[in-house]
Amino acid sequence: MAIPAEPSKGSIAIDHAFVVRFVQALDERLSDAETFLTELDAAIGDADHGTNMTRGLHAAVIDLEAAPDRGVAAAFAEVGRSLIRAIGGASGPLYGTVFATLGRTLPQGGPVDARALAAGLREALDAVQRLGAAVVGDKTMVDAIAPGVAELERRLGHGHDLATALDGATRAAHEGATATTPLRARKGRASYLGVRSEGHQDPGASSSALVFDALHAAASSPGTSADALLP
Amino acid sequence: MIQSVDRAISILMELQGARRLSLTELSARLGLAISTVHGIVATLVARGLVEQDSAGHYALGAGVLRLGNVYLDSNELRLRSVPWAETLAERTGYAARVGVLMGGTVLVLHHALRPDGSRQMREIGVDLPAHGTALGKALLAYHPAPRTPLSEVAPLRRLTGRTVVELAELEREFAAIRVEGIAHAEDEIVLSESEVAAPIVDDTGVSVGAIGVVLPTTELPAERATIDAVRNAAIGISRELGATTWPGVAPSD
Repeated sequence: MAIPAEPSKGSIAIDHAFVVRFVQALDERLSDAETFLTELDAAIGDADHGTNMTRGLHAAVIDLEAAPDRGVAAAFAEVGRSLIRAIGGASGPLYGTVFATLGRTLPQGGPVDARALAAGLREALDAVQRLGAAVVGDKTMVDAIAPGVAELERRLGHGHDLATALDGATRAAHEGATATTPLRARKGRASYLGVRSEGHQDPGASSSALVFDALHAAASSPGTSADALLP
Repeated sequence: MIQSVDRAISILMELQGARRLSLTELSARLGLAISTVHGIVATLVARGLVEQDSAGHYALGAGVLRLGNVYLDSNELRLRSVPWAETLAERTGYAARVGVLMGGTVLVLHHALRPDGSRQMREIGVDLPAHGTALGKALLAYHPAPRTPLSEVAPLRRLTGRTVVELAELEREFAAIRVEGIAHAEDEIVLSESEVAAPIVDDTGVSVGAIGVVLPTTELPAERATIDAVRNAAIGISRELGATTWPGVAPSD
């Protein structure tokens, strides 16, 4: 097993346990938002985004909690496999790609620093854009992830710690998701509706914003991994 | 063009997009005086094409549903296709769609839902980019000049990372479709969704529509039975339309 690097004072280790906390937090947030996401999807999709996402994250939590600690990259890769298998529809490969890309591009083995995580998220965004041929403004998950990653990079560049940077990134991602409402969908099934897709917030952008919430939670409360297992 | 008729149609189109608009919003969108718009919209309300809710906002009225239904009911291809599409969905377990080519897009005339009881978007009346769907490819493969309809929507849009947007590559696909009369699409319009489709031919040998199924990409390659069911449905509808040959006349080069 790799020897964990000593995290610098005041910063948080981005390691296997971080991924566990992150995925647990995402599972919680998606469960809370399940009805909301399904309602959004009922307007411009198949009304299954909420249930697909909670099914996927429940599976990811179970798989990851059973997986040995092989480092942060391996943990993300494990989650990617769970999500591709369990989510289904278009969201399975898209969310799976986010995590699989983190697993592939982060330094293997030991923990990584905040800049490496941001670089991994940038790679994940690029991979999602290649898979879906989507750009900002197409009314997709890219509309939340792109501003989220950009704000994370900007704040880390200004010397903010990870939790503070993710706090800003979360707000940017949610603003991005909200800003999809007036847009006409240009990708995915919602694009079938053409002009009728206007006036509805994109479900994929909405769930993607919660990814930043969960990252922020994982970066802010290093004790919750064990606590979350208590009844 | 009659100006007031044109404006009335613009109002209907704006309401299609925004769904609910106040008189002020409607006027701003059309760039017209409130009094002008009020006169037209009041007429549309009186004739049932537009409705006004309790908050005073305007929305499309029940009258447009009646008009749309008449369009669907009077389309002979659709009339003939509906029972075949429903049977195709039941037999294969997949959603079945029937479409016609309108320029570079496929208009979905009928959508038989996947028979698994799940909630699904109703796709009747939607426009699909022809180059991104097996329905469109089946139609374009037997079109006398496939580049003409495609030129109307050029440059061809990528709907996913796997959408084919190069004309030369599409034409190679069309040639392959003409070998068996079956068109395939894999993750090309929506990720995780793939299709098998076949052309519908009328009594003059012209392909007038297409029928196909939508299956999860994880279930590829499509089973022989699925492909046969699509082909049989296409031949069955074509026969009812008076066709004596199938899959139709190939374009002359």
